[in-house]
Amino acid sequence: MTRTPYADSPVVTTTVRLLAPFVLTYGLFTLFHGTSSVGGGFQGGVVAAAMVVTVAFALGIRRTAAWLDRRALAALVAAGPLVFGAVALTGVALGGAFLQFDVIPIPKATVYATEAVEVGIGATVAAVIVVLFVRIADGYEEPDPEDDTPVDRVAGPLDGSGATEVPADD
Amino acid sequence: MTLALEAALSVALLGFVLAVAALTALVRDVLTAVVVFAAYSLGLAALWVLYRAPDVGLTEAAVGAGVTTALFLLAISRTVRPANDEGLVDRRSVRPRSLLVAGVVTLGLLATVPALPPVGAADTAAFGPVAEYYLTDAADRGVDNAVTAVLVVYRGFDTFGEVTVVFAAAVAALAVLGREALA
Repeated sequence: MTRTPYADSPVVTTTVRLLAPFVLTYGLFTLFHGTSSVGGGFQGGVVAAAMVVTVAFALGIRRTAAWLDRRALAALVAAGPLVFGAVALTGVALGGAFLQFDVIPIPKATVYATEAVEVGIGATVAAVIVVLFVRIADGYEEPDPEDDTPVDRVAGPLDGSGATEVPADD
Repeated sequence: MTLALEAALSVALLGFVLAVAALTALVRDVLTAVVVFAAYSLGLAALWVLYRAPDVGLTEAAVGAGVTTALFLLAISRTVRPANDEGLVDRRSVRPRSLLVAGVVTLGLLATVPALPPVGAADTAAFGPVAEYYLTDAADRGVDNAVTAVLVVYRGFDTFGEVTVVFAAAVAALAVLGREALA
């Protein structure tokens, strides 16, 4: 395949821009509604991450990577095991068993403990997919002699109206 | 949905899934194979929804048809596309040994099908007393989605392990790529 320079297709970028808020909201809905309807942490996180991947395909992977905050991503990746462990140990601290939720003295303790765990799982799943996608894309990136700026410094404006032209993402 | 309609739909979807699965193996162009493979995942996702497993269907659609396809596209965008790659694979390039192995595995799997209980059979393990306890107890606790209840409340230990595996896999993949720094 010949490498063609990344070209903005107005149809693709407009569609993705219109879709993104709705799909991300749906991801959050799926995440938070896991206890009462279809979904949960894993599904919600995957839906949100799939939207980020779609945005990266439409608007350029390096440009999308530049918008990501690496500290926030690191925190999100670790959130799942940390939150799950914290909730599990809360049960122990309150005299119950590991992962026992109903000893927590709040109304509907099982529901809220489950929600907390789901939020953690969603954060980890979404962040892991985004990080792996960006890192794999980056790992294949051909070195560009004119641009030795680290990826996280080339942040462009969110509307991407051509102020920073980031080359070659196909 | 009536049973007849459901049966017709599942036959159509199964046929579609089988056809695209065969096409994935048979098309010559890798890009076409990736796209057809995404269609395979989407067909499976529709089947899960039809078989009343929407949680699995949602995951299959997002991971199988979405994220996996994106990762495959990334990988093949760095490969060279041969000039003459239309149509199906050359029959002479298929090794009989590979066909034999695929055939034996398929037959072995199909041989286990008669051991499965019929759909909706009342004496299967799925309808045992534990399932009934899960359903009533989850509703008492206010968790209406029994799938979530089983995953987090009753089998929380397994799910804790799973999310730890996802975390560890990401750390390992980044270490192998030599890119411990995140984005």
